[in-house]
Amino acid sequence: MSLGSIARALATFLILVLLHYTLRPLLGWRAPMDFLVLALLLAAIRVRPAAGALIGLALGIVSDSLTPDALGAGAIAMTIVGYLASWLKAVFFADNIALNAFFFFLGKWVFDVIYFVVEHRLLGIELVQQLLLWSPLSAAATAVAGVVLLFVMRPLLEPAKI
Amino acid sequence: MARAIRSTNSRVDLIVLVTAALLALVARGLPPNLRDPVASSMRRTFLAPLVMLQERAEASRRSLLLDNERVAIRDSVALKAMSVNALESENDRLRQLIGLGARVRWGFVPAEAIHGRGVRDVTTMTLTAGSVAGVRRLSPVVSPEGVVGMVTTVDPTMSEAMIWTHPDFRVSSMAEDGSAFGIVQAHEASATTGYLMELRGIPFRSQLKPGQLIVTSGMGGVWPRGIPIGTVMSEVRSAAEAWARTYLLKPVVSPSDVGAVMILKSDRVSKGFENVWSSVAAAEAAAQRIVVAGDSAARAAAIAEAAARRAALDTSGRSSAAPAPIPGGLPPELMPDTTSRAPIAAPPADSAAAAQAAARREAARRAAARRDSARRDSAARRDSIAPRTPTRGF
Repeated sequence: MSLGSIARALATFLILVLLHYTLRPLLGWRAPMDFLVLALLLAAIRVRPAAGALIGLALGIVSDSLTPDALGAGAIAMTIVGYLASWLKAVFFADNIALNAFFFFLGKWVFDVIYFVVEHRLLGIELVQQLLLWSPLSAAATAVAGVVLLFVMRPLLEPAKI
Repeated sequence: MARAIRSTNSRVDLIVLVTAALLALVARGLPPNLRDPVASSMRRTFLAPLVMLQERAEASRRSLLLDNERVAIRDSVALKAMSVNALESENDRLRQLIGLGARVRWGFVPAEAIHGRGVRDVTTMTLTAGSVAGVRRLSPVVSPEGVVGMVTTVDPTMSEAMIWTHPDFRVSSMAEDGSAFGIVQAHEASATTGYLMELRGIPFRSQLKPGQLIVTSGMGGVWPRGIPIGTVMSEVRSAAEAWARTYLLKPVVSPSDVGAVMILKSDRVSKGFENVWSSVAAAEAAAQRIVVAGDSAARAAAIAEAAARRAALDTSGRSSAAPAPIPGGLPPELMPDTTSRAPIAAPPADSAAAAQAAARREAARRAAARRDSARRDSAARRDSIAPRTPTRGF
């Protein structure tokens, strides 16, 4: 991985983090798109599973610090998602829109499942409703946003030409 | 060798994953008194820019929602303002109908009139009351103004009524003073001049004046006596009727304005409606008289007060050595004509002030007496026209 590609990947990562804290609250949807998960997935497929897990831990701690009651829940979820995304990159790292969309969808849904189970705030029917209704919707919105961003940021995400 | 390296890497990855997961679990298991300071310190330091961005985005969203709400409120207020005139008009009509219902007291069915066709083509209308409510065929339909029409077809919940504009409509009528009797029907040639009525069969010796009120005569058994029909406009000259006169009437009820009506039941019709509609006219006239009397009393009180002030100013002006314009003086039309008066010897300053105070007191007393008198007259008139029995709404 060249220095240029690292810089571009870092820029993409920062843009997604910024979008998460600007566009997402501005839209205020009930099933919001998660740019932090997108940033994690796009970073994790470029690094080893251990690095993916560490990036996930860092991002999770950052996001949890804004919701102190859930501190640690997001970190666990992102750690596991980062590790799995990096581990499964051989399967999903393909230039196929549908496959990439499914990758984003799966990543966000797995994150939500782990997050809401560990957070232990929603219980019973509310948890089921969240995991089977709102989480898939949010994952779908995230997948759509991810595909759009892949198109928009293609120059940044392509490997450097030597 | 390669397999050994891959195996080592996998082991390292797993160890890092377990370590990271343990760290996250430790963070999750922190007690609140440790967790909050950690989160707070992160928010205050390297996360401060992100927190600020999020706050601004949420504030923008709130203002956007508020703006949408304001626009929605403004639109709904504008929409309501557009319907205010229609509502006021309907309110007035319903008030009139309630007033009529209170005077009729019993034996009527309130109904809403549904116009089926165009405004210029109204000869029938559907009423929202039927035989279940006690409506029968040939029941008179009235409004607070007067005659509207009569019921022709009755269903259990609806009924059809013929409006007075219908070519077959006839009602036996008379002048309000009973000086002449005739038959009222729709004026056939009024398609271009608006809906008018004809009063036919008036004896040649009886002459009606324009503006005279024509009411139902009570003959014929359908209509009770005394319901207003219209006012005389002019006589229609016709060579065919040598021994009778025909008059053009301006109807009291405009067909297009009919909304809420009352259907009179037969048992109530047989009891008569003495002074029900005439008290409406009397009440309106009395209200006009009260307004006029109030205005004149207020005007008289103002003139008396101005005269008193004028007298006081004259007195004090003559007593002062250097007269100056006094603020709050009289208007020009109320200023006295002092040019023709002979000069009067000025009284001492103390007596001038006393005279001024006395004049003020006298003017105030007179004005209060006039106001009380006007108020007593208005109250007496109101009492004389208000129904004295308990009323029943509908």
